[in-house]
Amino acid sequence: MSGLTSDLNVSVQSLLTSTESMDVTTTNISNMNTPGYARRRVVLEESTPTGLDGSTTGVDVKAIQSLRDNVLDLSINAATSQQNQSSTIANSLSAAQVLFSDNASSSIGSTLDSFFSSLQQLSTSPSDDSLRSNVLTAASNVAASFQSTESCITESQQQMDQDVVQATGDINSLLQQIATANGVISTANNLGQNSNTAEDQRSALLTQLSAIVGYQTVNSSNGLTLTTDDGTPLVVGTKAYSLTNAISSSGFNEVEAGGVDITNTIQGGNLGGFIQTRDQSLASMKTQLDQLAFQFAQAVNSVQTSGSDEDGNTGVALFNPPDTTAGNATGAASSISVSLTSASQIAAAATGGTSGDNTNLLKMIGLQNQSIIDEATPTAAVANLTFSIGNAISQATSDATATGNILTQLQNQQGSVEGVSLDEESSNLVLYQRSFEAAAKIISTVDTLMGNLLDMGATNPGY
Amino acid sequence: MRVNPNYTANMVDLLNQSQQDETKALTELSTGRRVNNPSDDPAAEAAMVAENSRSASVDQYTASSDSLTEVLNTADSTLSSVVTLLQRASTLGVEAANSATMNQTDLNSIANELTGIQSQMLSLANTSYAGQYVFGGTVTGIAPYVADPTVAGQVDYVGNDQQNKVQIGTGLSVASNLPGSSIFSQSSGNVFDALQSMITACQSGNNSGITGAVTKLSTASDTVNTARVFYGNTVNELTSNESYLSQEKVNIASYENTLVSCDTATATTAVTQAEYQRNATVAAAAKMNQVSLLDYLK
Repeated sequence: MSGLTSDLNVSVQSLLTSTESMDVTTTNISNMNTPGYARRRVVLEESTPTGLDGSTTGVDVKAIQSLRDNVLDLSINAATSQQNQSSTIANSLSAAQVLFSDNASSSIGSTLDSFFSSLQQLSTSPSDDSLRSNVLTAASNVAASFQSTESCITESQQQMDQDVVQATGDINSLLQQIATANGVISTANNLGQNSNTAEDQRSALLTQLSAIVGYQTVNSSNGLTLTTDDGTPLVVGTKAYSLTNAISSSGFNEVEAGGVDITNTIQGGNLGGFIQTRDQSLASMKTQLDQLAFQFAQAVNSVQTSGSDEDGNTGVALFNPPDTTAGNATGAASSISVSLTSASQIAAAATGGTSGDNTNLLKMIGLQNQSIIDEATPTAAVANLTFSIGNAISQATSDATATGNILTQLQNQQGSVEGVSLDEESSNLVLYQRSFEAAAKIISTVDTLMGNLLDMGATNPGY
Repeated sequence: MRVNPNYTANMVDLLNQSQQDETKALTELSTGRRVNNPSDDPAAEAAMVAENSRSASVDQYTASSDSLTEVLNTADSTLSSVVTLLQRASTLGVEAANSATMNQTDLNSIANELTGIQSQMLSLANTSYAGQYVFGGTVTGIAPYVADPTVAGQVDYVGNDQQNKVQIGTGLSVASNLPGSSIFSQSSGNVFDALQSMITACQSGNNSGITGAVTKLSTASDTVNTARVFYGNTVNELTSNESYLSQEKVNIASYENTLVSCDTATATTAVTQAEYQRNATVAAAAKMNQVSLLDYLK
């Protein structure tokens, strides 16, 4: 009878194994769309042989394995960071680029053209009052276009600044959750328990984090350690190191870790994109714009003050400021304005010249083709600005597309390793169902056999 | 190798891509421009900034030429009247010089007519265009010729002898005025002096004075005619320059077209292609979901 008993035991074990296998299939099917979920597989092994001669060997569930490819996950998160940074840069610069489009009517380029045209027209009749007024209007338009362009760039920067604060908050919340997941995983591991669920959650959190900021991971004895690309710790074991914001001297929020400014070391993700746009692309455009406004105003003023106005007085500065003594262009684009109060103050004539003289006007017109803005003509300087913003966006866009393609490729690979296939699960279900049925059949067969044996004893008591 | 069972993400990417292509092509078609923002083609947009500036300059050179032509034509037709007046004065002088038929009464009436001519001449020399005196050099705000209140018939020039230059092309300028000092009041042929000596000679019946004044008038007339050459030449230069400018404008426009214009054929093809790709992707997606192993497991 010992053979039949061990058959019975083994079959019961087989039933339990089939049930557990079906549990895993159920979990897989339920979570086929859950972010961070990696499909699971039951790993079976033979159990210790039983029976008189050790002939009966049952089955045991050795492990429930998550088919996670950690290296692939890391690559995907890195690519996500990179793609998000690039697309954030492209998106956040696109508001400002409209100002530099050649068909924008009030662009700096077109107002400068109109200003020089108005001077040319005035040169045909230097004491014509309406032509003089046109010059002042055109000059105000130049100032207005500098101011509106500058303020649009500043608004974009302020928007980015709020996004930086928002992103910092999001990062902190994710870091906290990752630290918690770390704790659950290490506790489970220490107890020798399965930590698949917590790992799935952590994987989803890491992907979310990678969209916001780039990071590095190190697997250590106390769980996963997360640092910024520069090595500043974010999560060590169960401890999350929150990032904070503080207003820097530039008036924008910097990102601090433990009170130390790490803004410039942040790479990748939306946050990397926001910071790069705010502190580099837009900031450098603002500097160029200030230089353009400052040097243009200086050049016009210097010609203006070397001539005589309609009433024979020495010319006074046309544009206001810049501060000529400081030689500092910062803020020039936002503060430039026309300082003349009357059109008669335009110094068209050479010093001591009559009201009908246009000699000084010709000098002012000549500025259009002189390298007065850092060795470039005003038009060339505007063209450079247009090129640099257009190029920054176009590069960011093609970077985003290229990383997007890599990302799709990696996600496909990830799907082929970790993704749940309904067909596969369905066929597994059939497999487990059959093995369950077969084990149940063995139990009923053993039952019959045992019954037969017992019946034999009852009808032939003399044996 | 195991395939990725979750193809929806790919499908969405593909649909997004074809939608993006289609939107881009439609924008190109509706605006007529391939480049709508600097990021579409940064180099072309930067070149457009320079081209727009060139185009604005050409427009302005044309406008300046137009304004100048008006002023110069006004001055020229004024001088044409001046020449007519001088001819009339000469004719009167020749009549007056014929002493056989002239008595003092006739000479006085000639002197009267000449005085009339003299005041007309003064008003012509003070011609203005749009409020600006055209013969005062660069003194345009006040009348350049003033009758001297102390000396009868004496006319003083209060303008200067300067010329303005106006740009009508890149590196090309023309003088926009000729000062009266080289037209009416040149030392060799002063119009007002010639008229005054004729009047004086007629009033005093000085026959040789009249003959001398006729010569003076003819010299003055020559000077005015020489001045008219300047106006004629400058207007001709402006006219030929304007036709060059309009050609230049066409050149710039055509270059701008090659920089940013949308090629309708290419854009239309792109729309069709994107639509086709989209339809194909959607059709494929609809097919793929139809069958699952679950359908066959009962």
